[in-house]
Amino acid sequence: MGDTSTILIEVFLETIGFWWVIVPTIFLGLIVGGIPGFSAANTIIILMPLTLAMELQTGLIFMVSLYCAARMGAGIPAILVNIPGTAGAAATPLDGYPMTKQGRGQQALAISFVASSLGGLLTTLIALAAMPLLARVGFYMHSVEMIVIMLFGISLIASIAAQDMVKGLIAGFFGLMLGAIGADVVYATPRGTMGFLELYDGVPLIPALVGLFAVSEAFIIIEKRVILTEEGQAAMENPTWSATFEGVRETFKRWAHIVWTSLIGLVIGVIPGAGASIASFVAYQQSRTFSKTPEKYGTGHIEGLIAPEAANNGVTSGTLVPLLVLGIPGGATAAIMLVVMQFHGVSFGPSLFQQEPKVGYGMFMAMAVAYFIMILTILPLSRYMSRVTTVPTIYLAPMIISFTLVGAFVPREYMFDIYLALAFGVIGYIARRTGYHVAAILIGVILGPLLETYFLRALKKSEGDISVLFSSTLGNILWVALIVSLVLPLVFDRNRKKKAMVIQ
Amino acid sequence: MSLDPKEPPRHLGGELVIPVMAVIFTLYYFTTIWNSPWTAQVSAFAIGGILLFVCALFFIKMVGYLQRGEGRLTFGNLFSYEDIRSGRIGLLITTVGFCVLIGDLGFTLTTFLFLWLSMAILGKFKRLGLITLTATLMSLGGWAVFIWAFETRFPRGWFENTMRMVLSNG
Amino acid sequence: MKTTTSITRRTLLGTGAAASALTLATPSLLRAQSYPDGNIEVYIPTREGGGADRNFRAFSSIWKEKLGTDFEPGFYPGASGRVGYEIYMGKAEPNAYSLIFGNMGPEVLNWAVQEPKFDINDYFYFGRVDTDPCCVFVGAESPLQSIEQIVEEGKKRTLTVGTSRMAHPASIGILALGEETGAKFNLIPLSGGKNTVAGAVTGEVDFSVLTSGSVIAAGDSVKTVLIFGENRVGEALDNAVSINDAYGMNLPEMLSARAFGIHRAAAEEFPDRLDILQSTFDQTFEDPGLMEAYVASGGTPEYLNKGGVDECAQFVKDMLELGARYKPLLTGA
Repeated sequence: MGDTSTILIEVFLETIGFWWVIVPTIFLGLIVGGIPGFSAANTIIILMPLTLAMELQTGLIFMVSLYCAARMGAGIPAILVNIPGTAGAAATPLDGYPMTKQGRGQQALAISFVASSLGGLLTTLIALAAMPLLARVGFYMHSVEMIVIMLFGISLIASIAAQDMVKGLIAGFFGLMLGAIGADVVYATPRGTMGFLELYDGVPLIPALVGLFAVSEAFIIIEKRVILTEEGQAAMENPTWSATFEGVRETFKRWAHIVWTSLIGLVIGVIPGAGASIASFVAYQQSRTFSKTPEKYGTGHIEGLIAPEAANNGVTSGTLVPLLVLGIPGGATAAIMLVVMQFHGVSFGPSLFQQEPKVGYGMFMAMAVAYFIMILTILPLSRYMSRVTTVPTIYLAPMIISFTLVGAFVPREYMFDIYLALAFGVIGYIARRTGYHVAAILIGVILGPLLETYFLRALKKSEGDISVLFSSTLGNILWVALIVSLVLPLVFDRNRKKKAMVIQ
Repeated sequence: MSLDPKEPPRHLGGELVIPVMAVIFTLYYFTTIWNSPWTAQVSAFAIGGILLFVCALFFIKMVGYLQRGEGRLTFGNLFSYEDIRSGRIGLLITTVGFCVLIGDLGFTLTTFLFLWLSMAILGKFKRLGLITLTATLMSLGGWAVFIWAFETRFPRGWFENTMRMVLSNG
Repeated sequence: MKTTTSITRRTLLGTGAAASALTLATPSLLRAQSYPDGNIEVYIPTREGGGADRNFRAFSSIWKEKLGTDFEPGFYPGASGRVGYEIYMGKAEPNAYSLIFGNMGPEVLNWAVQEPKFDINDYFYFGRVDTDPCCVFVGAESPLQSIEQIVEEGKKRTLTVGTSRMAHPASIGILALGEETGAKFNLIPLSGGKNTVAGAVTGEVDFSVLTSGSVIAAGDSVKTVLIFGENRVGEALDNAVSINDAYGMNLPEMLSARAFGIHRAAAEEFPDRLDILQSTFDQTFEDPGLMEAYVASGGTPEYLNKGGVDECAQFVKDMLELGARYKPLLTGA
């Protein structure tokens, strides 16, 4: 134990000494995270020659800070202009963008930054302390358990649809159906691809994401001079630092919420294969379920912004756990880190912490330091970044469209994906105009294929026996929890109505 | 975003677009898996089945609205004169143009043309100087980030090729 | 100039007579035909930054010196490689200025289970870069720790086997083992190497099969128990034995084998160009720099393994035959 703490202190001091790597990397990460289609993973690939040329420690610190910063950067356009740059940020605009429209963009950014950093920092420290234990989570969360986890996220469709249940369900199931395009994950039979090979692997996420959210929104906002509401314009007229501080204060007030939702992120993050998109929707759903004011979600509610942001940064620390303890990368970025570390002759698995403890602890330390430095560097920027919202829509809308269509192209570099984003933009526009929730469609498109993957895996394992869904103890506990979290809001709602009656 | 249900009469034609699309797509999807192994069918039939059911419910509701005169089969919520006046149709045309031309003209030039034309249409061809400046800065900035710095495989055209020659000679 | 000198040196060293004749002819061809006078486009049917990318960069860094021109990779991932091949066969000019760099194992198996739009005889592989045999491995904490235990247990109950995808040489290997021993295996496709490793480690499946390079990379969180081919790395794969030795079988090696392919039309119309490609490909293998580059890119040195047109054709034939034989199990038809 004494040894470990000496190593930790040593590693901490060394990492701080790398501030000259961390600070510029944070800015790079914020930029690439903010551009739809780019991510930490493909940036590291593009910069691979540079990364490989660095010393091991420098390279690791570079990759880890880039990873954290890109995650945070994705929230910025999601909040300000309704463009989630990655699937992990898909739940961020649900409450972030309405806040922006109300002229609270600066507060929203501050909330997102603080929630992300605190969530990230906290989960990093927990991961560091409880690594061996957390690595076991993957041993219990198999396909059956993951089905239930996915259903937590998908049940959001029902909550979003609350106003008009039939239309909400149509939107959600239409999304699920679109998400079912592509080869089935077992026998690779192509389904619903309309003859496009580009759709064999399913609907690519970024084009769907930017099309549904951003392109369709761009066609809506041109009705107004700016995206802000009238009160919003008034609020934005005199920008002051106090809005940033207000955001920080509001976030700190909800510290328990950050702890709770970032833990959801951490636990989902340590499961190999599960990712930020699942975590942020599940966190949002949980946050809404146990809220006293569920009806405020989707209208610019602070908790609705904290939950996905804290959770997706919790995932970031989570993915390092299986990478370091088991040698299994939890996600795309972790997989590339694995390649770079192998290049330097570091081998993973249980022996890593015996042979090279400094590498293992160093990565978590780099993450903690990156989050710490990030909050200091980025918070002051929120005031300036939020000015984007005062740009007249005649300039903003074309910029959003070109920026996002091009972003749709980046991950696979197919022209097809640009057209696909446009098609989703049209679907999104029609949906918005005729009272269908694009968020419900999107949840279906993102989570549907994941749910099907786990579902088919479980069924194939049991050779088609459906009772496999209730075959594990942990799975059954989760089923009960799911039912509780679906029923609870109804009970809460009834109690609130009763109370309101009594007061009247 | 969602319509106020109390506001009569509803443009039911518009509201029907998404469910009709959903039904057509689901039926098409079913034809592609009719003879497939069970793994390809099981979740699609479940999801598609529910979707068709919910759409059917919606159509029944629609018939009710129509009979009671609470709505008409119009598309006023989707298309209106406002769309032409506000430049929305223009923006849609430039957007489609962007997608079609980017393959031939290359990223930078197409982005410039798209930004300039869309902003001009939306701004009713006023303040063209500012628009030209913005479009130039944005497209050159995009070129610098995506093509020059990150070397992504964005469609290359006249501008990109010229710049490559200039840079490699310089 | 550099090309000519290296060829002369090589010829003097007196390698095989046929090869010498071929390479002796090359310099004159180079002058006469002036091929290549532009960059060679290489279609890679997987994602940028993946194994094929690193492998390609390592090999082409040496090959481009021999050929005297640059290689331009283009990445066309999707549908287990299908997209890349369709684009190569459909859109690339068959003029020997465009090649495909694919993985003969899984990608050819694709054709066996589901035919592509083009005729698969319209292209062929002419240069194999490496061979990486598939293997059976268990998680470090799995109750099954040897192939004997696996087979014995598989006779009592159906074991779940993680695989990267159904149409993969590793899947064929385990199906063949099941057929030979009577053990029952249920293949569970886990989409990709890292998930396949994770499946075995976390106990989602009883054990997994995969190409051995990815298993070596997983370190000591897994234990390899059987190789569908030769164990060329010994300790790194836990000294696991070959399936043919252990069970007296005669299964061809189940490999991930990366190779360069070309349109057949290009080879027929421009045989001289193909000659130049082949001879410079051979020279690349003689350059000690290749091994350095290959290892630096994360390759296992023992797996760098040159193969020509005939070896590739034989392997493709084997894959197509085995694919046809196990098609019902691989497609669920």
